[in-house]
Amino acid sequence: MRLLNISRYPGQLVMDVVTPIVFASMPILLGRASGGANAEEVFAANTGTPNYVAYMLIGTSVFTIVSFAFWHMAYWLRWEQETGTLEVLYLAPTNRIWVAAGTALYSCLRSLLAATAVYLFGSLILQVTPFQGQVGLAFLFILVGLIPLYGMTLLYGAVILKVKEANALVNLMQWGVTFLMGVFFPVAIFPPLLKFLALLFPPTWMTNGVRSALLGIGYFFGEWYLDLAVLWAFLLVAPLFGYWVFSKTETSIRRNEGVGQY
Amino acid sequence: MVSPPIPVRVENLGKIYQVRQRKGLFKSEKRSVEALKGVSLEVQPGEVFGLLGPNGAGKTTLIKILTTLLLPSSGQAWVNGFQVERQDNQVRATVGCMLMGERGLYWKLTGRENLEYFGALYHYSPKDRKRRAEEIISLLKLGEIADRTVETYSSGQKMSLAFGKALINDAPLLVLDEPTNTLDVPSASELRAIVRDLNTQGKTVIYTTHIMIEAETLCDRVAIIDHGHLLALGTVAELKASLNREAVVHVEGAISSRAEESVSALPWVQRATRTSQDGGALLTVVASGGGVNLPQLIDALTQTGALIQKITPEEPTLEDVFIAKTGRTLAVDTRA
Repeated sequence: MRLLNISRYPGQLVMDVVTPIVFASMPILLGRASGGANAEEVFAANTGTPNYVAYMLIGTSVFTIVSFAFWHMAYWLRWEQETGTLEVLYLAPTNRIWVAAGTALYSCLRSLLAATAVYLFGSLILQVTPFQGQVGLAFLFILVGLIPLYGMTLLYGAVILKVKEANALVNLMQWGVTFLMGVFFPVAIFPPLLKFLALLFPPTWMTNGVRSALLGIGYFFGEWYLDLAVLWAFLLVAPLFGYWVFSKTETSIRRNEGVGQY
Repeated sequence: MVSPPIPVRVENLGKIYQVRQRKGLFKSEKRSVEALKGVSLEVQPGEVFGLLGPNGAGKTTLIKILTTLLLPSSGQAWVNGFQVERQDNQVRATVGCMLMGERGLYWKLTGRENLEYFGALYHYSPKDRKRRAEEIISLLKLGEIADRTVETYSSGQKMSLAFGKALINDAPLLVLDEPTNTLDVPSASELRAIVRDLNTQGKTVIYTTHIMIEAETLCDRVAIIDHGHLLALGTVAELKASLNREAVVHVEGAISSRAEESVSALPWVQRATRTSQDGGALLTVVASGGGVNLPQLIDALTQTGALIQKITPEEPTLEDVFIAKTGRTLAVDTRA
C-alpha cells in the first residue's frame, strides 16, 4: 500500500535519483578542476584507489540508502502523526513493529532501487565503469548493513515521536551521517576520537565494505569477513536496542499526551 | 448461556497531563492538568451511550483511554472484558473507532484502498478485506466515489469514509466521536439511521456529540462530563426528570373563561392562564407535583364546550439538563 502511495508522487521518485548524482558531481568536478595532473595519484595515496569518481559515487549511493532510511522512518512517523493516521495505526490490533517493519521494507526497496539507479546513471554521466571488483560481496555488505541501519532509525523514530520535529532533526542527522560515514573521504583521516565515533556507526562499515569490494581500498580489519562480522554484531544489537527504546518512548508518550498530539 | 461481557467498565479513572507552559522566548514551566477526576461508569451491552461535555471536559481523554491510545494515571478500565492497559491488542480488536473525523485517512489512496489497508491492519485476508470493503461501500452508498483518491472527496464524504473505517472490523463496540461533524443535514440523518440499525443488530455504541437533539434521539443513556468529573448519568427521561421542574402544557383552540376556571379547579393544577391569540385562545396549564393528568384536562375542557386544536407539552430539553448540571451551554470551551 505504501508503494502504491508513493507511486502517486512521481516528482519525488525523480528527485530520489537526480539529487544524489548532483550531490556527488560537485566534489568530483571540483576535484577535476583543482586536482591537477597528479590528482589520481594523490587520491590513491590517501584512499587506496585512484578512481575518485567511483569512490564518491559509491559513497553517495550508500549515503542515499542511509539518508532514505532516516527520512523514510522519521518522516513516516511525523507525517502519519500530522495527518492523523498514526493514531489510527495505534487503534488497530497490529503490533507497531510490523507496521514499522513494513515501512522499513518499503524504504529498503525504494532506497536500493534509487541507489542502484544513482550508481548506474552517475557512472554513465561521469564516465566510470560501474561493475568492477566483487559486486556480490558489495551487495552483501549493503544487505547486512541495512538491518542495523533500520534499528538505528527506530531509535531516531523515538526521538521524533518525543520532540515532534522531523525536518530539522533529519537534516541535522543527514549532515552528521555524511560526515561520519565518509561519503567523500576515508574515515582513516579523522582524528582518533572522531574515527572511533565513526566506527560506532554501521553505515561507515557498509560504505567501506562496498568500496573495498568494488575498488579494493582495504577493509578496516584487513579481511572482508572480519568487517562483515562487525556488521553482523551491529545487526544483532542495533534493532533490539532500537525497538526497546522505541517501545519505552511509546509507553511514556501514552502515559502523557498520546501519540496523536502533533 | 454465557452473557456477553460488559462493553465498558470504568472504575475511578483519572488522567493527569503534564503540559509545558511557555513563558516568553526561552522560559517554560511544567504544569499538571487533571483531565479526568475519578470517573466511574458502565456501558451496558446493546445500548447507545452518549457522552456530552464541552471541549476540554475530558470526554475525548476518556475515549482515548478506552481505545488504548492513552494510559490512565489512576483507576482502571475494561473494554469488552479486557483490561485496557494490559490487554490492549484484545481491546483494539473488539472496538471500531471513529475518533478524529476526516483526519486519519490516506488522501493519496482511494476510499476502497483505505478500507482494504485498514482491513489488513485488522488481520483480514486479502479476499476478506476486499469483501468487507465492498460491504461498507455499499452500506454507506460510497460506490460512486470509492475508486477516487480521498483528496478529491468533500468534507462530508471524508467523514462517511472515516465512519466506514470504524466499521471495518465489525466490532461489537463502536466508539464514535462527533461523527456527524461537517455532514449536511440529510447525510447526518442517514448516518444516525445507520448507527441505529447497527445498534438494533446488537452493536453497543459510545457516541459523543455537541448536538443535543442528536443525543436525545439516539442515545439510550447519557453521561455528562465537565472539568473531568462525571456530573450526571441516566436515560434522557431520567436526566430531564432530575430537573424536578413544573410540568407545563399549552392548549390552543376555542377556550372560554369558563373552561379556564374549570381547569383551574382541578386538584393537580397549580395555575391555568388563558390568553387570546389569532381568533382563538391559548391556555397555559402549570401542574404541581405529579405532573399533568392529560385525560382529566381534556375532560374538563370538553365538558365546558372548548374546541381543542392542539396540545403541546412543554418539556425540559437535554440542553436544559446540561445547563443545570454544568452552569453553561455546550458551546462554552473549558479547556484548561
